[in-house]
Amino acid sequence: MSLTYVIEDNEIMSELMTRYLRGITEVKVFHDVISAISAISTDKPDMIFLDVLLTGPDGFTFLNEIVSYEDTAKIPVVIVTSLDLKAESLKNYNVVKIIKKDVMIPDDIKNIAKEILRSENA
Amino acid sequence: MATEVNSIFVAAHELKSPLSLLRQLALSMDFDDEKSLKSTQNRMIQVSERALRQVNDLTKINRLEDGLFTLEPVSVRAICDEVTSELRYLYRANHRDISEKYTNKSRLVIANRDLLYSVIYNFCSNAMHYSDEGTKAEISVRDKKGRVEIVVRDFGPALPIKIWKEMKHGWLKEPTSVAMRPGSSGLGLYIASKFSKYMNGEVSAVRHRDGTSFTLVLPVSTQATLFGD
Repeated sequence: MSLTYVIEDNEIMSELMTRYLRGITEVKVFHDVISAISAISTDKPDMIFLDVLLTGPDGFTFLNEIVSYEDTAKIPVVIVTSLDLKAESLKNYNVVKIIKKDVMIPDDIKNIAKEILRSENA
Repeated sequence: MATEVNSIFVAAHELKSPLSLLRQLALSMDFDDEKSLKSTQNRMIQVSERALRQVNDLTKINRLEDGLFTLEPVSVRAICDEVTSELRYLYRANHRDISEKYTNKSRLVIANRDLLYSVIYNFCSNAMHYSDEGTKAEISVRDKKGRVEIVVRDFGPALPIKIWKEMKHGWLKEPTSVAMRPGSSGLGLYIASKFSKYMNGEVSAVRHRDGTSFTLVLPVSTQATLFGD
């Protein structure tokens, strides 16, 4: 089964995301960037759902880190945030979608996960 | 004007998070069975209560200028106990804990009960947010040269240096910008700063290698001596 990282420091939100992805992919939750970076070299995910404002180093630190390594640079990243981010500002990273927390519905998460997995298997 | 706009922006963003969370919890109820519905309901209550507390604090800031909050002798230990008992459940739900250490002999300080509660609540809530999983924050109360010092110590990432510098030189003049403030500490510290100043208290922060201590110092009530304290 595929593996997905959910990097989200809010316990409730990370649980909800895990729930939405159940049955589609295996999920590993990280509440901070450091622990996700520590895990990624040994347990590479097929996609990553990333919050931006995190306790400690933020989501951009994580993006810079993974894009700098050959084996993680191409992992598709979905940003899930309350911030008004422009896709243009993230063009140097492998960000495939930005989902706004204040308007998202569970199907947004499910559908993008399925879409990424489909395109990986194609 | 710029400060005012920035403050409104930060406050709006701060309230956007719990509202998004509430919406998400409501949407997730479609997947709930009877047992998990109860848990979702409890979470919605917790999230909305925290947001309401923040809104209440914001409305209090406006009333500070009218001098509507009476300063009187207040038992600092009783308020710390109330805050920790209210927050302990949340701490444990987030795999953290909080302990109390009281060594003060002066039981009463000159303060406003509501404002003092809000300051200590904000410090402790901030400590929960910034503590690492599995750690135990500590609230301690001690005497300090005719005043009482309340310290909330957390174990996690240290306070951003920009906020620390501002607190070192006095008060937070405005909530910190969203871009440099992960999570939700900026507004809470700003509120705590405003309320402390109104009560003639002093707030400060110390950065540790493994966390942050926030301190509030308040004048002791001389009325305490009447009770043999």
